[in-house]
Order: sequence, then structure tokens, then C-alpha cells
Amino acid sequence: MSMEEAFALAEAEAKLKAALNECQARFDKAKMPDRRNEDWRFGRPHVYAKQLVDTITARDNHNYFERMVICDKGNAATRLTRDDDDLLQTEMLMQTIGSDALLKRHIERFEDGYSLYIEEDTTEVIELVYETRSFCSPSTFIMVAPGVKAEVHIIYSCLEIGNIFAACNIQVAAGAELKVRVQAESDGSDGRCMIITNIQNMGGKVMHLTEYRGLRWAREETVAELYSPGSETKLFSANRLVGDSVLDQHTRQIHHVGGASSDLLYKNVVDDNATAIFAGNIYVAPGAHNTDAYQSNRNMLLSEKATVHSLPGLEILADKVRCSHGSASAPMDDEQLFYLCSRGISRRDAQLLVADGFLADVLNKFHGESQSS
Amino acid sequence: MSLVIKNLYARVKDGATILNGVSLEIPKGEVHAIMGPNGSGKSTLSKVLCGHPDYEVISGTAELDGQDLFAMSVDERSRAGLFLAFQYPVEVPGVSNANFMRAALQARLPKGEELDAVSFYKTMRSTMAQLGMDTKFTARAVNEGFSGGEKKRNDVLQMMMLEPTYAILDETDSGLDVDALRIVSDGVNAMRAPFRSFMIITHYKRLLDYIRPDVVHVLYKGKIVRTAGYELVEQIEENGFDFLKTEA
Ligand SMILES: Nc1ncnc2c1ncn2[C@@H]1O[C@H](COP(=O)(O)OP(=O)(O)OP(=O)(O)O)[C@@H](O)[C@H]1O
Ligand SMILES: [Mg+2]
Repeated sequence: MSMEEAFALAEAEAKLKAALNECQARFDKAKMPDRRNEDWRFGRPHVYAKQLVDTITARDNHNYFERMVICDKGNAATRLTRDDDDLLQTEMLMQTIGSDALLKRHIERFEDGYSLYIEEDTTEVIELVYETRSFCSPSTFIMVAPGVKAEVHIIYSCLEIGNIFAACNIQVAAGAELKVRVQAESDGSDGRCMIITNIQNMGGKVMHLTEYRGLRWAREETVAELYSPGSETKLFSANRLVGDSVLDQHTRQIHHVGGASSDLLYKNVVDDNATAIFAGNIYVAPGAHNTDAYQSNRNMLLSEKATVHSLPGLEILADKVRCSHGSASAPMDDEQLFYLCSRGISRRDAQLLVADGFLADVLNKFHGESQSS
Repeated sequence: MSLVIKNLYARVKDGATILNGVSLEIPKGEVHAIMGPNGSGKSTLSKVLCGHPDYEVISGTAELDGQDLFAMSVDERSRAGLFLAFQYPVEVPGVSNANFMRAALQARLPKGEELDAVSFYKTMRSTMAQLGMDTKFTARAVNEGFSGGEKKRNDVLQMMMLEPTYAILDETDSGLDVDALRIVSDGVNAMRAPFRSFMIITHYKRLLDYIRPDVVHVLYKGKIVRTAGYELVEQIEENGFDFLKTEA
């Protein structure tokens, strides 16, 4: 390495470090949304997304698509950088995520990310890993072509005091099938993570699973939009919360048209002083008849001090709609624990077995019953 | 070596007293039958011995080979050799039968030792075959959606795999079809050994014709009111529990 190169590298590193510190400071100072802050509900993802769909349809040959690397058997992905693609920022990110306020914050911090345009069936799971020890704010854009089957695994890894503020945009074309598994984790005691996701289903099948592990604070906003009859979107989440961690999940299932189905199953095992918050909403637009939309949030409490706030909601403006929403929170069943213990299994192990079993139901539904945990 | 219960009084937590001074000794190698009208406390006795949290011991003792049973936690009692096949086996959603049995056997190994998965599955499969259970039951959640008879068989499967020294069977015969009754009885008989004893709770002579008890007790209003040999079974089969009323 020449002197100049070394100097340039050191300077770049110093700049990066300063930027990260500044980001971190801003992030720390910023008021985090809490469970009383329901502003996100009044974001306008459906309005923006409709425009977006029209835009995409109208610009089928736009160079935006040409610039994307076509994902070949799950190996290649385009890396986005902040000033890489104004179009992407303005049209893909800014206008489609559920919460205007949160999105703005994300854009402020947006650094890089991946965009995947999946044109062929992928035999392997496409894995995207975002890892940070300080702060990162990545964006992921996934688009699946008509009739294509794919599976994507996104891992957000908050090491030490790492914070991640992520956005993810998913578009699934007619006849396509996409499975997305999102895993946010922390190895330290202070990892925090916020993920905003928008899933636009144009007549395909989508399964989306979120899992949070070891984070002190996590917030999820997931908006699933169904644009064509026959669209099928399933949202899952399975988590075990310990210590005094907080998991704050907000979801919205938006049926723009009739004849589509959406299903949500979010389950948490809440231990110690942990808190689980769930606010879900199903919106069925006027005229979206023959909609199937379900939503279920279930929590198992392992400690007296564990807290659950669950707020499922429905907003139905159409007829012939099959909708249900429910939430249930209960301590672990004593009779089940006794039964397991009566076979010689310690109380702690029995609790873990039952807790894993409670969550396995979700994982089995996502992975397919055959592949049990 | 035996299971010795002395003057046991127990009640539903903050509720009625159900056991009113039960005394009973089951030496190793013997099979004891416990009969008695509905609601007399048979299931309560068996659950109190296992440490069910719904009940509390008021007074009295229970010793398993000299060890104080009531000083042990539920899981310790099991590892000490006690087993209860429940009148109503519990459904545990999400926990597969195989994982359940693995955990139960693993709990019996010294720290650091791993259960051999291959031989475990082999044993589980062959025991299931012996009980006429389909292998699909290994992957199914414990008792979830099982028929009445399937649940009973599943509890017997657990007994056969855990090889307890003191096994209590609470109405294991009710709900079993004719063939299952014979299969389960064969299983129990095959396990009879000088180092093992059974407490068999039943309402029916048929089971005791398969599994001949050495001693027969009648529990009534939370107390053992009569102890005799097999002839007591025949007497109850013919005349019911009328004799209790004249005696009481
Ligand atoms: N947890 C409980 N709460 C309230 N009452 C109870 C409880 N457990 C047992 N009892 C009562 O104690 C009495 C004895 O019940 P138990 O189940 O031991 O009877 P049993 O002899 O097994 O009867 P069966 O032959 O019908 O199985 C009954 O009157 C029952 O209602
Ligand atoms: Mg009973």
C-alpha cells in the first residue's frame, strides 16, 4: 500500500467512525416510538403503494431494472449504496413503508443494502446478513418474477451494543412463491433492532417469518398488502423473550381487492421481566368482497412479572368477508408441566420443552410440517 | 424394600380433605389392586404420591425404599423409580412424543452423558410395536388428539421405556379395546419382576384376570377399608360395594 493509499484509507476510516458516532448519538437521542404511539397506523402505505404498482407497470423497461443484477441461483445480489440509486430511494423506499415517520428516519440513516430481483427458481436459500457493532440502517428490496419460487433468509445481527434500523420491501408477482425468514439477534445485552417491512402481493404466495433473539429492544412494523385476487400472504413470528427485553410488534394486513387471503400467527413466550406488545390491524377495502383474513396473537407467560399488551383490530369495509382476530395470553399450563415432570424431567427443562413446543407450531407452519424442530 | 404409606391425610389445596388416613404397604415384587366406588380418592392418592400441585399433604408419610417421597420434587420422585399411568393422560401440544421420551431418559443419565439417539429410537419403535402403536406416534405431539385408548397406550409406552420400580396404573383398562387390554396386560406381566411392584387401580375384574394381583385393597371415603386376596375381586364383581354401607 502506498503512503497516499494508506492515508486515504485512514481518513476514510476516521470519517466513517465519526459518521457512525454521530449516527449513534442521534439514534440514542431520538425518541423511540412506544406502544402508546400509534401514529404509524395512519401512514398511507396503500395509497403510495398503488402509485408504485402503476409506476412499475408503466415502466417495465426502465433502466432501473436493467441495473439490477439478476439473481442466479441465489448467489448474486446487487449491493445498494446511499447515492447509488435515487430512483430506488424515492420510489421504492420512501413511498411504500407503513410508517411515514419511521421511514423518514430510516432514509436519514440509509447506508446500504441488497436488492434482489429473482427471475428463476432458486434451489438454495438466499442468505443476506447485516451485522454491526455500532449502527447500521440497511434496506433490502426483494422482487420475485411471475411463477418463480424462492426462499430468502435475512439475518440482522446486532453485536455488542449494535443497533439496526432496517427496511425491507418485498414484491411478489402473480404465481410466484416466496418464503422470507427474518432473524434479528444480539449476542450482547444491549442490541436493539427495528425492522419495517412492506410486502406487496400481486397474486402470489408469500410466507414471512420474523424471529427475535437476545435483543434488548426490538420493534417490528410489517405491512402486508394484497393487490390481486388469489394473493395469499401468511405472516408468522415466534419469539422467546427473557430478561427485561421488549418486543413491540405492529402489523397491518391490507386487502385492496377481494378474493385474496391473509393470515397472521404471532406467538411469544415471555419470561422474566420481558414485555411483548402486539398491535395488529386487518383492513379490508370497500368492495374487496370474498376476503379471508385472519390474525392471531398468542403469548405464553413464564413469569409473574412478564407483561403482554395485545391489541388486535379489524376494519372491514366490504361484504362476504371471513375475518377473525384473536389474542390470548396465559401462563404455562400447570397440568402439562406436571405431566412432563412426572416422567422425571426437571421443571426448567419441562418449561423449555413446552415453550419450544408452543413456538414450534409457528415454525412448523412456516417450514412445513415435515421439517419439525 | 417397599412403598410404605402411613396414615396419609391430604386435601385439595384450600379445599376439601380427600384422603383420610390411608395406610398401605406394597413390597417389591408384588402387585396390589386398589378398587373402590367412584370418588373414593383412588386417583387423588396416586396423584398425591406423585406430587401433583393441586393437593397438599396434611399429615402422614410415604416412603419409597426408605426415601421420604414428600421431600422430593415431582421429577425426583420419578427418577427415584415412581411412575403413574394417569386416568386422564395430559395433552402437551407442540412437544413430540419422541422428544418427550428422550428428555425423560436423558434426565436419568449422569451429567455430561448423552443419550444414544440411535438405540433410543430403536427401543422406542420396538416398544411401540409391542403395544401395537403406529410409528407415526413418535412424531405426534404428546397425547394431542389421541383417542382415549391411544392415550392409555401411550402412558403404558412411557412406563415400559422408563422401567420404573413402582408403577401405579390408574384405570389404564378403561377405554382400551379387548385386544389392547390383552396387549397392555401382557406388557405389564412381562415387566413383573422381584425388584418391581405395581399398584393397579381398576373397577373391573377383567383386568385383574389378566394381571393377577397378590393383594386387593378397597379404598372408601379416603381410607383403606378392606384388604384381602383375589377373592375380594370376585366378591365385588358379584355384589358390588354394598358391604361398605353395612360396615360403615
Ligand atoms: N382437584 C380437585 N378439586 C376438587 N375436588 C377434587 C379434586 N380432586 C379430587 N377431588 C374430589 O375428591 C374426590 C375423590 O376424587 P378421585 O378422583 O380421587 O376419585 P376416584 O376414586 O379416582 O374416582 P373414580 O373411580 O371415579 O376415578 C371426588 O369427590 C372429587 O370430586
Ligand atoms: Mg380416579
